[in-house]
Amino acid sequence: MRNILAIARRELSAYFATPVGWLALSAFLLITGFFFAALVSLYSMQSAEQAFSPYGAPDMNLNEYLVAPFFGNTAIILLFIVPALTMRLFAEDRKTRALELLLTSPITTTEIVLGKFVGAMGFIAVMLACTLHYVGVLFYLGDPDVGVVASSYLAMFLLSGAFVSVGLVTSSFTENQVVSLVLGFGMLLLLWVLGWAESASTGLTAEVLGFASLINRMEDLTKGLIHTRDVAYYLSFISFFLFATHQRVEAFRWS
Amino acid sequence: MIRVEHLTKRYGATTAIEDVSFEVPKGQVVGFLGPNGAGKSTTMRILTGSLGATEGRATVDGRDVFTDAREVKRRIGYLPEVPPLYPNMVVRDYVAFAGQLKGVKDPVAAAERAIARVGLAQVGHRIIEHLSKGYRQRVGLAQALVHDPEVLILDEPNSGLDPAQRVEIRDLLHDLVEDKRTIILSTHVLADIEAICRRVIIINKGRIVAEDDIERLGGEQRTVTVAVARGGDAALAAMRAVEGVSAVVDEGEGRLRLTTDGDRREHVANAAAPFGLLELSGRARLEEIYLRLTMGATP
Repeated sequence: MRNILAIARRELSAYFATPVGWLALSAFLLITGFFFAALVSLYSMQSAEQAFSPYGAPDMNLNEYLVAPFFGNTAIILLFIVPALTMRLFAEDRKTRALELLLTSPITTTEIVLGKFVGAMGFIAVMLACTLHYVGVLFYLGDPDVGVVASSYLAMFLLSGAFVSVGLVTSSFTENQVVSLVLGFGMLLLLWVLGWAESASTGLTAEVLGFASLINRMEDLTKGLIHTRDVAYYLSFISFFLFATHQRVEAFRWS
Repeated sequence: MIRVEHLTKRYGATTAIEDVSFEVPKGQVVGFLGPNGAGKSTTMRILTGSLGATEGRATVDGRDVFTDAREVKRRIGYLPEVPPLYPNMVVRDYVAFAGQLKGVKDPVAAAERAIARVGLAQVGHRIIEHLSKGYRQRVGLAQALVHDPEVLILDEPNSGLDPAQRVEIRDLLHDLVEDKRTIILSTHVLADIEAICRRVIIINKGRIVAEDDIERLGGEQRTVTVAVARGGDAALAAMRAVEGVSAVVDEGEGRLRLTTDGDRREHVANAAAPFGLLELSGRARLEEIYLRLTMGATP
């Protein structure tokens, strides 16, 4: 655990030591801020319109009309930003040969992989924590459901975990960070659009595509419904890609 | 302390090292020599646990480098040919991080000691990528020393350095030898090896071709080159007549290469003086042995 935390701390501080981390954080906050402002504005406009509607005000609520779409948009922003955060995790270490320090230290490959994973997740936790003030505004002005907000953050964290695990494995396959970025983003996009392909398919194919899709598992979570199967799905997904990364790093000892 | 037995490493059809065996007793400083691609780095990487072997066994302090890797790594400080640095880190933080990974109880204090040991105290607060190559090499050394290892494995610590930086690193290596650690030092600067190590292991094309004290490896045969102003048959005959000279080769323009039995430079100089001695050089002993063993014959 000590070694995992040591590596995680170094990875986390590396984000703040380079422009990449600050740029990613700024871009994330700028875009989520834009979406949040747009959604709040749309929600106020719609609710004002509905209030004056001769057909009576429908059941508009913050959770469905604001919280869920906000986190839906945040997930898409993460899809673009996380590969940029994970591209350097192994690629940079291989290029600078710093990986040799890790491989020749009395630590296990699991500790190396988990350390890097926890470090990247730490940065994403900081990013997500920076969006809490949006939620604070909602609580100040309205009455969103705490459970929905909490499970939505859980969804973002699990989804980011899945993104980071894919980014880790793609980063371990190359010394070139751009290649790592393109590979990571390509893989994530593919897994993302599997959900769209599901609606165009039938039978077993639809079931398999629906199961593999990263996005489908998020829907219930952003509605405040925490199913064990969804959480287990993300955890299994993360475990699989961390295991793949572990095997890849082990292979460095034989190449 | 270090025992390597029949170590072989193959990459597909390519054999990097084959049947490599040697021993380094505790406290000994050994020079590990060989041409580029001979298998030095491969052997060192296997010993440090960053590379697996196809066959064979290696132990450090009686512990197997493959099955007891964690314990072996605790005992080894390793400086690869390219120092394993994080360019964006501050020197002090980097060395402390290395200390943490190596299981040091107080990494910050250990980092300070290692930094002072390699003469980096002045630049401890600086970011690694802003340092000169010589200083970066020192940071790499500090990383290797931070956990006070019993064994140091240094892979070309002075490669790519300018002459002044080379001298600095050589002086540093001299100091490290005083620590009574077991050291395997690989470098192409044979003068450094002669100055620091008593014993050498020479590897060529993946195989050990010599392993002994430098004195014993050399035997009695030496090469002396003389340049005279008035060369020709008379000079050639005079050189041949010098006691202990077994062969003379005329390289043209008054340059003669002599093979001697023992150190005969003084006699050669006396014999060459009447012909206008311009230059006399006896090739460094280790260089001669090295070339003989790695190139087949003295060129």
